Amino acid sequence: MTLTQPAVEEGLARAVASPPETPAPASRRPALACTATLVVTGLAGSALLVAANRAAEWDTGDQFGLFWLGLLVFTLPAVAWLVRHGSSARLRVAVLTAYAGFTYLPKLLRTPDGPLYHDEFAHWRQAHQILLDGRLFEQNPIVKVVGDFPGLHSTVASISALTGVSIWHGALFVLITAHLLVVLGVAVLAEEIWQDGRVAAVAAVLYSLNSSFLFFDTQFGYESLAIPLLVWTLVALHRAMRGPAGRARLGWSAVTLVLSAATIATHHLTALGLLGVMLILCAVATARALRRSHPRAVTWTAWVLTGSAAVLVVTYLAVVAPRTAGYLDPYLAKALDQVAGMAGSSGSGKRTLFRESIAPWWERYAAFGAQGLAGAAMAAALWRLRYRRTGDAVSRTGALAMLVLGSLYFPAALLILTPSGAEGARRSWAFSYLGIAVVVAPVVVALLDHATRRTARVAVAVALLAACTVGLVGNTAAGMNPSYRFPGPPVFGSDTRSSTPEVAAASAWLHETQGRDLRIVADRYSGLIFGSYGEQRPVTGSQSFRTYDLYLAQPDQDIPPRLIEQLSSWKFGYLIVDRRMAREVPEIQIYFETNEPVPHDGRPAFTLGQLTKFDRTPWTIKIYDSGNIAIYRFDFSSYRARR
Amino acid sequence: MTTVRLVAAVYAALLLLAFVAGLPWLPAAVCLAALAAIGELWLRALTGEGMPPVHRIGLATAAGLVSLPLVTLTLHVGGIPIGPRSVAIGLAGLVTLLGAVVLVRERATGAAADPRLPRMIGAVVLPASLTLIAGFLALQAYDRLPHPPQPGYMSVALTGWAAEIDRPVAIPAHGLHVRLRVSSAGLPAATAPLRVRVGARLVAGRPLAVAPDATDAVEVFVPAPPDGCLHRIEISLGTTSTVFYGRGPAKC
Repeated sequence: MTLTQPAVEEGLARAVASPPETPAPASRRPALACTATLVVTGLAGSALLVAANRAAEWDTGDQFGLFWLGLLVFTLPAVAWLVRHGSSARLRVAVLTAYAGFTYLPKLLRTPDGPLYHDEFAHWRQAHQILLDGRLFEQNPIVKVVGDFPGLHSTVASISALTGVSIWHGALFVLITAHLLVVLGVAVLAEEIWQDGRVAAVAAVLYSLNSSFLFFDTQFGYESLAIPLLVWTLVALHRAMRGPAGRARLGWSAVTLVLSAATIATHHLTALGLLGVMLILCAVATARALRRSHPRAVTWTAWVLTGSAAVLVVTYLAVVAPRTAGYLDPYLAKALDQVAGMAGSSGSGKRTLFRESIAPWWERYAAFGAQGLAGAAMAAALWRLRYRRTGDAVSRTGALAMLVLGSLYFPAALLILTPSGAEGARRSWAFSYLGIAVVVAPVVVALLDHATRRTARVAVAVALLAACTVGLVGNTAAGMNPSYRFPGPPVFGSDTRSSTPEVAAASAWLHETQGRDLRIVADRYSGLIFGSYGEQRPVTGSQSFRTYDLYLAQPDQDIPPRLIEQLSSWKFGYLIVDRRMAREVPEIQIYFETNEPVPHDGRPAFTLGQLTKFDRTPWTIKIYDSGNIAIYRFDFSSYRARR
Repeated sequence: MTTVRLVAAVYAALLLLAFVAGLPWLPAAVCLAALAAIGELWLRALTGEGMPPVHRIGLATAAGLVSLPLVTLTLHVGGIPIGPRSVAIGLAGLVTLLGAVVLVRERATGAAADPRLPRMIGAVVLPASLTLIAGFLALQAYDRLPHPPQPGYMSVALTGWAAEIDRPVAIPAHGLHVRLRVSSAGLPAATAPLRVRVGARLVAGRPLAVAPDATDAVEVFVPAPPDGCLHRIEISLGTTSTVFYGRGPAKC
C-alpha cells in the first residue's frame, strides 16, 4: 500500500502526492489465492459466530470459545496476507476492507433488528424524532446531550429518508461505512507517518485490538462516526503540515477544518480528544522546531489549524451545546474522588474487575496480559524511535506525537479501577490505542523482517499472532461485559437483556392509548424502551430532580412535597414501576443513574412494599399491570386535596 | 470522471432518491455512490491535487457522509423541515456549489486524473460486497435457527372511557361498567379469578378464561360505594390488577 513517496526535508515545498503510475503487470495468482482463502475462512468464521450466538442463547456455556475461534479463523489468515512481503497495495486494501467488514459481523449478529445498547436507544429515538418532526436539536430524554450533537443521527435520518430503509438499516449503512473508514483511516495515517504499506496494514490491525473496536465503537452511538472522522482529520492535518506551501496547503487545511467541524458536531468527547491529539502534535512540532529539526512553516500550520479547531470546539460547546460540561463534569469529579479514595488507606471507591462476570478464566487472564503486552510493545517502540530515525520532519513529528498519545493509555488504566472513571477510561482507549498502533506497527514489521531463517520467521510470526490474539481477547473482555457481547436469557438490570416482550408491550400500550411525548418517571431499563420505541419522555432521576425518592419512600412514609411539586409543575403524567427491582439485583449495579443514592450491597435495594405502595395511594391510578410492569397515572389534585 | 459528468451523475442519483419509492436496497447503493461522488467534489474543490487512491476513497467517503449533517444543519437554520425532498434539494444545492468551484479551479489549473483509482475502488467494493453477502447469509442462518421462547406475561389495563380516569370517579347509585383489556402472550391458556373490590370489600368474583396470545376486552360491573367518601376500587385478574378511586352517590 506504499503510495506516497518519502519526502525529504528540503522537498517539503513539492507536492507529495505520488504521480499516477501505469499499473505494473502482476500475477493474479496471489489475489486469487487470497480471495479463496478469505472467502472460505470468512464463511467458516461466520458460521462459528452464529454458533456462538446460538450457544449463548441456549446458555450452553460454549459461546466464548466458539466466538473467538470464529473471529480468529478469519482474522489470522487476513493478517498473514496483510504482512506478507509480496502482497500488492491493492491486495492489502482489499484485505483491510474484508477485515473491516468481517469484524463488524459480531455486532451485526448481536443487534440485527434494532437498538440494544444504552446509547443506541437514545440515537434511535433522536433519528426517529427527526423523521417525525423534521427538526434537529430536540432534547433527548435518555442521554440528555445527544440532541446537541446531531452529526450521527441527522446522517442516519437523512439516509433513511432518502432511501426508504428503516432507521436501523440506515444506521447499519452508516456504521459499517464508518467501521471501514476507521480501518482504512488508521492505515492511511500510519502510511503518512511511515511511508510503508506493510507497516500501515499492521497499524490498522493493531488498532483493531482496542477494547472498543468490536462492540462499542460499532454501536449506533456518536463515537462510532466521530472516531473515523478524527482519524481522517489527522490524515488531512498531516497532509496540510507536509505542504507544499500555497494553494495545496490551504486546500488540505480546509479539509482538516471541515472534518474537525464535522467531528465536533458529532461527539463531544471525540472533539475534545481530537483537540488533545492536535495539541500533542503542536507541542512536539514546537519542541522540534526549537531544536531546529523542523521547518517552522510546518509548526505554524499545525498551530493555526489546532487553534482554529479549538475555536470551533469552544464556540460549539459554549453556544450550541452548553449543557455538555454539566453532563461530563459529574463523571470526572466522581472518578477523581474515587481515585483519591483508592489512594487513601480505606481503599474506598475501588472497583473489582470482572466481579460476578461469567467471562471464562482465560479471557480474564488475557485482559491483564493485554496490558502487559501493550506496555512491552510501547517500550520497544520508544527504543526504536530513539535509535532509528527514519522519515521526513513531518513523519518524525507525527511518530513522536503518536508515542505521547499512546503512552496516555496507561494512566487511564488507573481510572478503570473506579466505577465512575471506568466509562471514561474505556472511551479514552479508542484514542490512545491509535498512538500505540501507529508506533508499535514498525516494531512488528522489524521483528518479522529481522528473522532471516524460515523457521525463525515462522516462530516470530506465530509469537506475534499469539500476542495479537491475547490483545484482542483481553482488551475486548476488559471493555465489554458478556451481556453486551452475547444474547441470552433475560437478565434484570442489564441494558441489553432486561428488555422483554412484557416491557415492550407495556410501552406499546401506553403509546397506543395515551399518545406520545408524555412525561413519565421510570427506572433506567424501562426508560430505555418507553423513551425510544414508546416515544415518551422518561426521566430516571438526578441530584436536582430526585425521582428515585418516589420508589425509595417506605409505604408508611410521605413522598417529599418538593418532589411532588416538581412533578406536578413540570406536568409529569405517568409513573412506571418495574417490580423486578424488589426481587433482583441489577446486573450493572444501577437502578436509575450512576450517582443514585441507592444501596448496592448485593441484595435488592427495594422491598415489594416500596414498589406496590402506589396501589394504595389515592394520587396514583393504576391503569396497566402485567405482573412485573405497572403503569400509574398521577392525580396531583387528589394529592393536594388530601394534604 | 470529468467534473461535469460527476455532477450530472449526482443530480441523477438525487432525482432517483427523491422521487422513486420502493426497492429500498437499490436506493441505498445509489445513495452511497452519490455521497462518495459528493465527497470527491469536496476534494476537487478544496485540494485540487492528486493524492493516493486510498486517501481519495477514504476522504471522499468521509466528506460525502458529513455532507448530510451539513445540509440538515443548514435546513434547520433556515427553518425548513428535514425530509427526503428537502435533503435531496439541499444536496443538489451543495453539489452545484462544489461543482462550480471545481470548474473554476480546473479552468485555471487543469484536471488531474488517476488511472489507479478505478482498480482501487474495485479493491474496496469487491471485498465489501463479499462481506455484506457473508453477513447477510449469517443473519439469515441465525434468524432461521430455533430460538428459546421469550418469557410470557398476562396484562390487564383500563380501556375505553376508563383509560382516561385521572381523578376519583363519581359512581351513580346503579353502579357503572368498566372495560378492561386483557392480554396474554407466550403463556398457555389459563383461567384466572376476576375480582372486584371496593375498599376492603370483595363485591364480585368469577373465573375468566384467558386465551393464549390474544387480547380481549372484558366488561366488569362496579357497584356504587356505600357513601360519598373516597373508596379504592380494585379490579384484579389473578395477580395483576388495576386500581382507581371512586365516590358513591350518598353523603360522606
